[in-house]
Amino acid sequence: MNLQFHRKKITVLAMLLSLMLLLLLVRIGYLICVKGDYYSEKATKLHERERDIKAARGRILDRNGTVLADNRLVCTVSVIHNQIENPMQVIDVLCRELGLSEEYVRKRVEKYTALERIQSNVDKETGDRIRDLDIAGIKVDEDYKRYYPYGDLASKVLGFTGGDNQGILGLEVTYEQILKGTDGQILTMTDAKGIEVLREGERRSEPIAGKDLVISLDRNIQTYAMQLAGQAMETKEATGVSILVMNPNNGELYAMVNYPEFNLNDPFTLSGALEETLSDTNTQDALNRMWRNGCINDTYEPGSTFKIITAAAGLEEGVVTKDSSFFCPGYVIVEDRKIRCHKIKGHGSEDFVHATMNSCNPVFVTVGLRLGVEKYCRYFEQFGLRTKTGIDLPGEASTIMHKQENMGDVELATVSFGQSFQITPIQLLTTVSSLINGGVRITPHFGIKSVDARGEEQIFHYSTREGIISGETSALLREILEKVVSEGGGKNGQVQGYRIGGKTATSQTLPRGSGKYIASFLGFAPADDPRVIALAIINNPKGVYYGGQIAAPIIRQLFENILPYLGIMEYNYE
Amino acid sequence: MEKKQRRKKEQAEFYFDYSLLFIVLFLIGFGLVMIYSASSYTATSEFGDPAHFLKNQLAAAILGLIAMGIMAFVPQKWIAKSALFAYFASAILIVLVLSPLGVESHKARRWIRLPGIPFNLQPAEIAKLAVIILLAVVISKMGKKVSTWKGFGLIMAIPIPLAAMIYVITDNLSSAIIVMAIAAAMVFVASRDYKKFIVLGLVAIACAAGAVYIIKAGIFGGGFRGGRILAWLDPESYAKDQGFQTLQALYAIGSGGVWGKGLGQSMQKLSFIPESQNDMIFSIICEELGMFGAIAIILMFVLLIWRMMIIANNAPNLFSAMLVVGVIGHIAVQAVLNIAVVTNTIPNTGISLPFISYGGSSILFLLIEIGLVFNVARNIQLKEM
Repeated sequence: MNLQFHRKKITVLAMLLSLMLLLLLVRIGYLICVKGDYYSEKATKLHERERDIKAARGRILDRNGTVLADNRLVCTVSVIHNQIENPMQVIDVLCRELGLSEEYVRKRVEKYTALERIQSNVDKETGDRIRDLDIAGIKVDEDYKRYYPYGDLASKVLGFTGGDNQGILGLEVTYEQILKGTDGQILTMTDAKGIEVLREGERRSEPIAGKDLVISLDRNIQTYAMQLAGQAMETKEATGVSILVMNPNNGELYAMVNYPEFNLNDPFTLSGALEETLSDTNTQDALNRMWRNGCINDTYEPGSTFKIITAAAGLEEGVVTKDSSFFCPGYVIVEDRKIRCHKIKGHGSEDFVHATMNSCNPVFVTVGLRLGVEKYCRYFEQFGLRTKTGIDLPGEASTIMHKQENMGDVELATVSFGQSFQITPIQLLTTVSSLINGGVRITPHFGIKSVDARGEEQIFHYSTREGIISGETSALLREILEKVVSEGGGKNGQVQGYRIGGKTATSQTLPRGSGKYIASFLGFAPADDPRVIALAIINNPKGVYYGGQIAAPIIRQLFENILPYLGIMEYNYE
Repeated sequence: MEKKQRRKKEQAEFYFDYSLLFIVLFLIGFGLVMIYSASSYTATSEFGDPAHFLKNQLAAAILGLIAMGIMAFVPQKWIAKSALFAYFASAILIVLVLSPLGVESHKARRWIRLPGIPFNLQPAEIAKLAVIILLAVVISKMGKKVSTWKGFGLIMAIPIPLAAMIYVITDNLSSAIIVMAIAAAMVFVASRDYKKFIVLGLVAIACAAGAVYIIKAGIFGGGFRGGRILAWLDPESYAKDQGFQTLQALYAIGSGGVWGKGLGQSMQKLSFIPESQNDMIFSIICEELGMFGAIAIILMFVLLIWRMMIIANNAPNLFSAMLVVGVIGHIAVQAVLNIAVVTNTIPNTGISLPFISYGGSSILFLLIEIGLVFNVARNIQLKEM
């Protein structure tokens, strides 16, 4: 039979179908040559399982080598569903060893997941015991957990870490990069169920432990200062007590207490009661308040301690000398305002030294007015009060101060004795340090150096600015401030056998007339060659609220104990 | 005596296509190797025997080769006479899927279990064979009327009941498509003209494009198959469900590269591609053997088509030529669709790669079809070559 046209059609059909196959070959070529790298990378990501090997976080040590923040080895117990051979045994062992309810464990063992965590933060002995039983499907991983041996000591300074060992507060945040180290990794090939496939062997990169951080804090001084703060808090029924202890020559902080502190090993539990009644946002607010470091995060009106700054500016500018004589009638009139002295009858005739000893408001207003707004503001800036101190803790608050163009004589007068503006306690301490140390603006700090695993040290450097005031003015200021303690309002700050300089302050908190006060005392020793400077601030004391009567004794007790300890004994004894 | 002599003469001159046999054996052998490579990991974890799937497939292949040999020597008259019987038998078998004999697997009920057969039977595979034989009979009897619209309509109408049953009862769209594609290939060859087919082809393409557009624009809900089309357009957005298999196949093809990872070195077969020995086996071939594995397989299919084309062109009569055309249509369309699915050239639909994918019924009936081709070849008078 004649199949002519059929043959042609058969050929066409075969060609068409072959052509389609060859076109698909082009498509495959495109997938391999053009998209190959993309898909290949995706596939590798799918096949490789990364297991992080946690790097140990660096420790934090005080200036004497006492460990303040350490790592404890803890275990995480998990089950791998696909590897479980005997679920009953697994449930049984986990219930017994971890003290968990059978229901809780069963739910997790029977859940179909690649890796189900049963419990974390299991102590190492229990973890080792479970691992030694060697039951298929149970996995025990070791992990580091931050541990603070002294609990609430310097809690707001050290800070704590979160679930991934990342810093959340304080020095743990500032020195995160130094402390955290580099995690290692194990890369293994797995099938779709996550079961490791033995083929190319593991690729492994070792973790690099974080560096240790040595800080200037002294555990003994901090502990003692905290005790003093606690006592003051209790006896004065205050809402908070802060104590700062610093080396005025280089800015190394020996202690920073913000009482009440909190337990660093349990930072998410509110120390007070009431927590059940709080909603989530309220709880977070309460936690944030509890964690707050008042010495650097909050500003306050310094009050009379700020007269040191006015005195320094006046003496430096020459508008006043220590022999300048004044008369205090109990008030001073600036423009239309009558500004009262705390001694209503007035101090009468007095020279500048006695005016400082008496903390006489009219005299300091006069000094301020003699300087004028422009010069006063220039000194304010020159002393470093407008900028942050640069302390190595997160969240330092800025100074709240009048703008120069908005400042009249009334504002100037109030600023002169420490009111109508706000600075942080650390700012006050740093500025006074710079004025009494011969005129070097220092940067307050905790971090001294980092030390890596091989013992290699890296010392931190902090900026200083010299000549913010002349050496003579600085010496004069020390002399006057020594008189304040030896004969004036700071008598309660005297320490037997030592020359102490200082200034008291009692400021009413805003709004005025609320009956709430902040009592403070700033002291340094030895008065002629300061080696240590300290500031005590008592918020809302009940009863007697004068700084000279309640804050000065705190610094006295502190100095009585720490001056011999710091080895400053050779001074003063004749 | 005379009769005997004539048969002797016939036998002495009969044509045996060794190339075709070689190609088929190569594809089966290659398929067995790849099935072992693709399935041994999952077979070990599921059955404790890495050769589980290999053994099943080998048994089916041996059975298929025997059936092929028998088919090659069955008188053509018998084949023609069995056409209607095969057609109705396959229809009954499809319905049997719903009976207790039916077997459900992979969330679909497409198989039946018959006593004496070592694997589950997929009636759709029988239907393909039945359609080829019945249409060859009808076309060879129809004569010139085939070229008319009426003839075209009649031939296309014959497979529709089977295709509809396959689609509705066994929810197997791809097999239904292949049954219709076989009919289309056969009627194309049988008809004198081209115009009708070009027009219909263009209409089909336009309809498909329109459907894709409508689904993409989200005019209708789309459902299961609509989702497959969206996953086809952008598999990575549907990586968790409908695009999963396709994306895994693309990972395999892409990560194999030009040279492949080497036989046995596939990562994707480690249960990333579910049942990688089945429909997606071509992606494992690409991953392990690279571009060259793909070229080799595709060239083997082209050679297979070419050999069968030569046999069809030299067939002694229209009936036997149409038988071969049906087989060409079946094997080639299925191969094209499978590779197109694996490479995400068309939306995903479950379709196996002839001779290579795992599946007892598939290889058994493919080999019976190849047996038909050998039968036709045997009847070629060498002087006609």
